[in-house]
Amino acid sequence: MTVTAWLLAVLVGVLFACGALLILQRGQIKVVLGLALFTHAINLALFGAGALQHGAPPILPHEENVAELLATRTFADPLPQALILTAIVISFGVTAFLVVLVSRRDALTGGDLAPGELATVMSAADPFMLGSGLLGAGPDAYHEAADDYDIFQYEFDEVYDRPEAEAEVAHEEIPGSVGDDDTLA
Amino acid sequence: MTLSPNILALPVAIPLAFATLAIVALLLRPPFYVRVQRVLAAVAVVLNFLVALLVLAYTLSAGRLVLQVGTWPAPYGITVYADALTGIMLTSGGLLALLVMPYAMASLNPRRERLGYYPMALLLLMGMNGAFITGDLFNLYVFYEVLLMSSFVLLALGGTPSQINAAIRYLVLNIMGSMMLLLGAGLTYGMLGTLNMAQIAQRMTDAPSTVETLIAGLLLIAFAGKAAMFPFFFWLPSSYHTPHPAVTALFSGVLTKVGVYSLFRTFPLFFPNLLVAWQPLFFGMAALTMVIGVLGAFAQPTIRRLLSFHIISQIGYMLMGLGVALSPSPYGVGFGLALAILFVVHNQLVKTALLMGGGHIELETGTGKLSELGGLAATKPVRAAIFFVAAFALAGFPPTSGFVAKLGLLQATFATHNYWIAGVSLAVSVLTTMSMIRLWQYLFWGKPKRTYAPRPHLEQPSINFMLVTPAAILVTLSLLLGIFAQPVLQVAQVAAAQAIDRQGYINAVAPQELGPSLVQENTYAGSLPSEQGGELP
Repeated sequence: MTVTAWLLAVLVGVLFACGALLILQRGQIKVVLGLALFTHAINLALFGAGALQHGAPPILPHEENVAELLATRTFADPLPQALILTAIVISFGVTAFLVVLVSRRDALTGGDLAPGELATVMSAADPFMLGSGLLGAGPDAYHEAADDYDIFQYEFDEVYDRPEAEAEVAHEEIPGSVGDDDTLA
Repeated sequence: MTLSPNILALPVAIPLAFATLAIVALLLRPPFYVRVQRVLAAVAVVLNFLVALLVLAYTLSAGRLVLQVGTWPAPYGITVYADALTGIMLTSGGLLALLVMPYAMASLNPRRERLGYYPMALLLLMGMNGAFITGDLFNLYVFYEVLLMSSFVLLALGGTPSQINAAIRYLVLNIMGSMMLLLGAGLTYGMLGTLNMAQIAQRMTDAPSTVETLIAGLLLIAFAGKAAMFPFFFWLPSSYHTPHPAVTALFSGVLTKVGVYSLFRTFPLFFPNLLVAWQPLFFGMAALTMVIGVLGAFAQPTIRRLLSFHIISQIGYMLMGLGVALSPSPYGVGFGLALAILFVVHNQLVKTALLMGGGHIELETGTGKLSELGGLAATKPVRAAIFFVAAFALAGFPPTSGFVAKLGLLQATFATHNYWIAGVSLAVSVLTTMSMIRLWQYLFWGKPKRTYAPRPHLEQPSINFMLVTPAAILVTLSLLLGIFAQPVLQVAQVAAAQAIDRQGYINAVAPQELGPSLVQENTYAGSLPSEQGGELP
C-alpha cells in the first residue's frame, strides 16, 4: 500500500468516527453535520476502493493488441468517481432537506411553546414516549398525552365542499411554507 | 407469448413520466390543478398495474426477462432484470398503489394535494419498481434514494410539528442505512471489480471469505434497516403514525417490503454459503423482531402506533422464511423462501387494509386514541367486518392468507428441524391474536366513550365508497389467497426456485468477462453496439 492509500484510510476512519460522534449528540445541527461527515467518509472510501493510480489517465490508447495493453499499462479507473459524483448529488439533496426540516422544527417548537406543550410535541414522534415524563404517571396520563392529532388540523378546520375549498386554498399562503414565516428570517 | 424485454423500462418510465406531468400540472389554475393531477395519477397507477401483471404472467410462464439498457452488454451497461419474484412484487406493489390512490383522493385535503401528494406518490412507486427490477447494485442504491426522498416529502407533507419531528428521525436513520448500502456497493466494486449483480454472484464464489463477510454484513445492515428488522427498526414506529392516513397506508405496503425483497434477491444470489452459515443470525434477528414488535404493540395507546409495531413484528416471519431458504427439506429446497414470498404478499394486503380502516376511523373521529374510541361495530357494520377479517388474517386464522402463509412457514421450519424459531413464531402468533382482540375490543365493541364532531364530507356516499372499497378488495384478495392456496403456493414456489437459481440468473444476464473481442468490437473499433443494429444479447 502506498502512503496515499494509508492516509486515505486514516482519513476515512477519522471522518467516520467524527460523524458517528456528532450523530450521537443531542443537538439537531450536530446530527446534520455528522451525517455530512459520514457522507464524506463514504465518498472517500469509494474513491479509495477504485485502486488509486497516480498520474495515469483514465483512457487507453487505440492499439490492436488490447489484452497486452491491459496487462502492461496502468490506467486510472474512472467509475468510482462517477459513483461518488452520484452519491454527492444525492447526499446534497438529502442534507438540504434535513436542514429545512430542522429549521422548520425550530420555528414551530422553539419560540412560543410552554415546556409542557413542547414535551408533548416532542414525544408525539417517540415510539416509547420516554421524553414526555409520563413513565411514572400511570396509564391514563400516558393515553391522554399520546398524540396531539394535529395532522388533521386542516381537515377539521376547513369547509369540505371541494370546488370552493380548492378555490380558497389556491390563493392562500400554505401554513408551514417558508415564505410567511418570519422566525426563519 | 413473446414479450420484448423493453417492457421492463415501463415500470420506471410510467410513474416518472406521469409524476413529471403532475408536477407541471401544479402550475394550472385553481380548480384544475387538483383534477388534472388526479387524472394523471389514476392513469399512471392503472397503467403501472397492467404492466406489472403482464410481467408477472410472462415471467411465470416463460422465465426471466433481461434488458440490457442501450444494448450495452453486461456488465458495461445497466442490466434490468425480472423473474417471477420481481413480477410478484411489482404486481402486489402496483396493486397497493392502485388501491391507495382512490383512498387518498377521497381523504386528502386540497392543501395536501396542492403540496404535491400525487407526484410524490408516483415517484415513490417509481423508486419501488426500480428497486425491484434493477440488476445492478449501484442502481439499487439510486432507486432506494428515489424511494426515500419521495417518502421524506410524503411524510412531512402538511408540515405539522409531529410530522416534522418524525420526518427528522425517519430521515436520519434511513440515510444511515442507505449509506451502508452505498459503502457496500463501493467496496464491492473495489474488491470484485463489478457492480452487475450477476457478475458479483459469479465472482463471489472465488472471493475470499473476508470479502464475502464484509459485503454481506454491510448489505444486511442496509436492507435490514430498510425492512425495519431488529435492531434497526426504530425509524418505523416513530414516524408511521404521524402523516396523513393515506400516506401511512401507502408506506406500510411499500417501504419495508422493498428492503425484504432486496434481502430475498441478494442473499441467495450473492451469499448462498452465508445464508446457511448465518442461519442462527437470521433466526436471532427474526425472533427478536417478532417478539419486540408484538410486545411493543401491546404498549401502544393509538391505532396507527399499534399497527406500525405489528408491521415490525410481521417482518420477522419473512426473515425466518429467508433463514430456511437453502436448507434441504422434504418439501424441496426453497420451500421456506416460497412461503416467505407468500407471506410478504399476504402482509402487504392485510396490513394496508388494516391501516386504511384505522385511518378512516381516525379521519372520522379526529382521534386514534383507543381510550376514546368504542362501539363502532354498531354504527359501521361493514367496516367492522372488513377490519375483523383483516385483523384475524394478520393473526393467522383460516381461511385467510395469513393461515396458509404461517402454516407453511411452520412446516418449513419444522421440516428443517429448527424447532425453537417455530416455537417463537407460534408464541408471537398468539400474542398477535391477543393484540388484535384488544384493538378490536377498543374500537368496535362496547359503547362510544364520547361523541364526535360530525364530518359531513366523509359521510357522502361517493367519498365513503372510495374509502371503504379499497380495503374491502384487499381483504377479499386475502381470503382468495387463503382459499385457493394451492395454485398460489405453486406460483410462490416458481418464484422461489428462480430466486435461488444462481446459475440461471447469471446465464440470463450473461455478463462478459473483459476480453479482447469485446473491447475491440464495442469500444475501440469506433462503432457502438447499437450502430451495428445488433439484437439484444
